[in-house]
Amino acid sequence: MSATERGEKGTGHASADVADLIPMVRRIVGARVGSHPAADDLVQETLTRVLAASDTIEPGMLEPYAIVTARNVVATMWRDEDRKRRNRHRAIDLSEPETPEAQLVLDEEQSAMARALGRLDERERRTLLEHEVSGTDTKTLAESAGSTAGAIAAQLNRTRARLRVEYLLALQHVEPPTDRCRPVLIALSSGDHRRQREVRAAQHLLECKDCASLSQPLLERGQQREGSLRITIAADPDIVAARSAAREVASRLKFGPTELTVIATAVSEVCRNIVRFAGSGEVVIELLESPRRGLQVVARDAGPGIPSVEKAMSDGYSTYGGLGLGLPGVRRLMDEFALVSESGHGTTVTMTKWERNTDDE
Amino acid sequence: MNGGPALVSIMRQGSNLIASVHTALDDSELVRFERDLVDQIGEFRSRGVIIDVAALDVIDSFAALTLRRIAEMARLRGAVTVLVGIQPEVAFTMVRLGIGTGDVPTALDLEEGLEMLARTAPHPASGADGRR
Repeated sequence: MSATERGEKGTGHASADVADLIPMVRRIVGARVGSHPAADDLVQETLTRVLAASDTIEPGMLEPYAIVTARNVVATMWRDEDRKRRNRHRAIDLSEPETPEAQLVLDEEQSAMARALGRLDERERRTLLEHEVSGTDTKTLAESAGSTAGAIAAQLNRTRARLRVEYLLALQHVEPPTDRCRPVLIALSSGDHRRQREVRAAQHLLECKDCASLSQPLLERGQQREGSLRITIAADPDIVAARSAAREVASRLKFGPTELTVIATAVSEVCRNIVRFAGSGEVVIELLESPRRGLQVVARDAGPGIPSVEKAMSDGYSTYGGLGLGLPGVRRLMDEFALVSESGHGTTVTMTKWERNTDDE
Repeated sequence: MNGGPALVSIMRQGSNLIASVHTALDDSELVRFERDLVDQIGEFRSRGVIIDVAALDVIDSFAALTLRRIAEMARLRGAVTVLVGIQPEVAFTMVRLGIGTGDVPTALDLEEGLEMLARTAPHPASGADGRR
């Protein structure tokens, strides 16, 4: 109790007198607050106040003064607590308290971001940071770089796409296994379809396990923007899921009930081939705007491929046509139909149904 | 796969079995349906089977094949199968796809299906061979 040892200067009472009050003060406080955790603090607070005022207290009044002070201190505490309780809802901090794990995750994310930024080239990084952090607009950036705002915006988009990929790689601590991986991931990240076709992104994802898992977040963010839907096909129920999804997407266009059934059936057939012959693959259903409005379905697998496409497409060969893949029938159902199969590298079926003005046929 | 609402119900009515498909079935469910139905034909010594596929929004090559297989197995077990309730869009698609129901007779709906069964098998055949 350091407070009791100070304040010797006073004329009225010595600190020893105050020290004598300790048991009493403790009793008074104890009687009011019981075993409240703040009890000791209250005793101390009382003694400090008594000591501070001891010079002005008349002789013999020290004890009553201490009693009143103790009561006041206790009352103040209750009042404070009460006020805090009443106002607690205003001060509530809805954010989760910082747990050590969260901190760890945050650290990891930050260091991954730092590494990702480090892998961008100097010029790209500077432009990105100036735009995102300093808030410089593309026009100003264009002026200083001797370029146009549009070009800067496009460059920023490419940089962001690269940054997303590098961030993912840094966060997962993986290096892509082949040198095809990075271009594919960047193409996916940028959502650039032409580039994705150039690097044969979809095909690569079916072959490269690392990229398949890495690309998940990249594809998810692109998903809402486009009128396209990706469905993984690995088992019988997926066939049903894919065909009802195709029907659902197609119903956004002016397709009649017959065409919806035709589309669903065609999807069902190509998905079955994936499950039967390749084990797994994917179907991408996409709404087309040009040259006409329509629905495109791409069914892709990385299976053994079809040995003879010609044979598979020839009708009347077996009961169901061709090699029993149902493909000639599917070609009749759709308006456009293309089959690409590479031995050992899988099969891709691309088929389209154009929107018509009338419901039938 | 067990539990949940029944995908298919198979009911007995006199010497006939009426199997109604309630929802789209995937391939393995179709195969299970096939097995269940053939089992029941044996159990109830049914003479006629009606398969109501009105709820199937898609009959693709596999579904058509399964239905034909069911009918053929039922025939071998001495029962006549009639397929009812094929939707117009489904019919159109099946023709375009180049698949059919083969020799399996079809009827517009359940009522006509039952009528057809009554006509085809008016009297229980005396021979063990169920072929009419």
